[in-house]
Amino acid sequence: MRNKGFKIFIVTIAVVIAIFFIAPLFWMMATSFKTDQEAFTSGLKWIPEVFTLENYTYSLSGGSDTPVFTWMSNSLFVGIIGTLIVLIVDTLAAYGLARLDVPFKKLLFGMFIGSLTIPWVITFLPLYMGFNQFGLLDTYAVLILPYSANAFGVFLLYQSFKAFPKELEEAAHLDGANKWQVFIKVALPSARPVIWTLAIFTFMSIYNDFLWPLLTTSSPDMRTITTGIAIMQQGSFVSSPGRLMALTAIATIPVILIFVMGQRSFIKGVTQTGIK
Amino acid sequence: MQRTSWKSKATSSLFVLPYLLLFTVFLIAPIVYGVWISMHEWDLLNPVKEFVGLKNYLNIFDSDSYLHNLFFEGLKNTFLFVIFSVPLLVAVGLGLALLLNALPKKLTGIFRTAYFIPYSVSVSIVAIIWLWIFDTNSGLINQYLQKVGFSAIPWLTDTPWAWVSIIIATLWWTIGFNMVIFTNALNEVSEELYEAGSLDGANRWQTFIHITLPTIKPTMLFVTLTSTIASFNIYGQPYLMTRGGPGTSTQVLLMNIVEEGFNQRQLGNAAAMSIMMALIMIIISLVQFRLTREKKEAMK
Repeated sequence: MRNKGFKIFIVTIAVVIAIFFIAPLFWMMATSFKTDQEAFTSGLKWIPEVFTLENYTYSLSGGSDTPVFTWMSNSLFVGIIGTLIVLIVDTLAAYGLARLDVPFKKLLFGMFIGSLTIPWVITFLPLYMGFNQFGLLDTYAVLILPYSANAFGVFLLYQSFKAFPKELEEAAHLDGANKWQVFIKVALPSARPVIWTLAIFTFMSIYNDFLWPLLTTSSPDMRTITTGIAIMQQGSFVSSPGRLMALTAIATIPVILIFVMGQRSFIKGVTQTGIK
Repeated sequence: MQRTSWKSKATSSLFVLPYLLLFTVFLIAPIVYGVWISMHEWDLLNPVKEFVGLKNYLNIFDSDSYLHNLFFEGLKNTFLFVIFSVPLLVAVGLGLALLLNALPKKLTGIFRTAYFIPYSVSVSIVAIIWLWIFDTNSGLINQYLQKVGFSAIPWLTDTPWAWVSIIIATLWWTIGFNMVIFTNALNEVSEELYEAGSLDGANRWQTFIHITLPTIKPTMLFVTLTSTIASFNIYGQPYLMTRGGPGTSTQVLLMNIVEEGFNQRQLGNAAAMSIMMALIMIIISLVQFRLTREKKEAMK
């Protein structure tokens, strides 16, 4: 059934689709090396006629107007700290609920899982008001803390801890280990693939969030890369596709590289956590 | 004995305590506070917040109130996006996964990466790249169209093109994720089932309908549910690509909620709108869940 003609047909389709996914990124790169005059007038040049680095030097030295590196480090900081909080708090809670004698266990677990059905739109206004009342708008706190009540992680880890063999735990207990030691030395390593997947999911969702950081930050130095670039797009970069694309390329390339390197574990994680 | 058990429970509780604390402060409290706000005439600039009970909700359903239009116009536009984007997100995601499966093994990895890459960029970058491609005068697509003799299409400034553009950009951005989830599900359809199918002389199409589809049904439900919720929450694409235009045709519900709460400072109204939107999303998720379950039972 798998004859040669069919194979060629399938590969051709795959290539055409790949062009759809890659061409926009390539076009972004091409434009970022063009002068604005060429970008606007010369049309379909996939390779710039006049190759210029001016857009990059401008975007990188933009000073207080476009602190690209500040935005990048804000995004990384917020993403990493937010992810760490979720990992610590979720592994503890999931382990407690799955393996320990926590009072009202069923009720708590039901409540946490139930919260998965609550759309995020219901909390963002009151959260904004709350942070406003405590004077915490435009700080790292407002960019990190709202992501910390992540029931998705508790749910994933709970399943993994439930499936973990009791004998290993009991052996550690017989050796005189207390609950904390069993948790750290036995349970956590067993859940490593799930923890890794949860980390990637959480980081991506914090890093890519748009509306929340847009609403809660106002000073240029507190912007994340996502919101900073969006504001540039409507501000001083609006008339210069070359500069805008250079800025975009600077923000995109590192993430794409990390993503391409990390996608194997990501995909593996999706399988192992049983999201299907 | 009694005492050790009490002590043991106390240490165990410490494991759950940090999460419970964050859960209460950043989820339960805001929900309660949101309901409270929604029952007030809550103007940010006015220190007096008058309790009005369910009036804000009733206004949403009162066709004479401006709130009615704001809510239902936004809801209509959001629905429009959900109805067109979700079937595409599910079907194209599955289609790409099937395509990857049909490719020679050596090529699977590289094409999967190519299709998955856009998922790594954020919405503002998606918008910037596609705005430049859809640009009416210097955009890539219109230049190609004109080269082969067609006239330029007002991609971002006319209906229905504005929605077409937003949906294309959204597919480009997020389809990779659904594809990966489907790929995993397809890999778990057992070889024996396929072998049995081919022994019975089933062709590709019959194998797909009778073996593949039923096996990956739970995945279909998962992808449909997550795609629906994500599509309901659409904000960044129209905000950045069309500014809600032309007119208010891509002004989605979330944009109207933000407008009413943050620009008009009418937080009571905005909170009531958010809660209504959340309720609608919960109901739709439940219906989708029910429908798939019933079909499953009917098949038994």
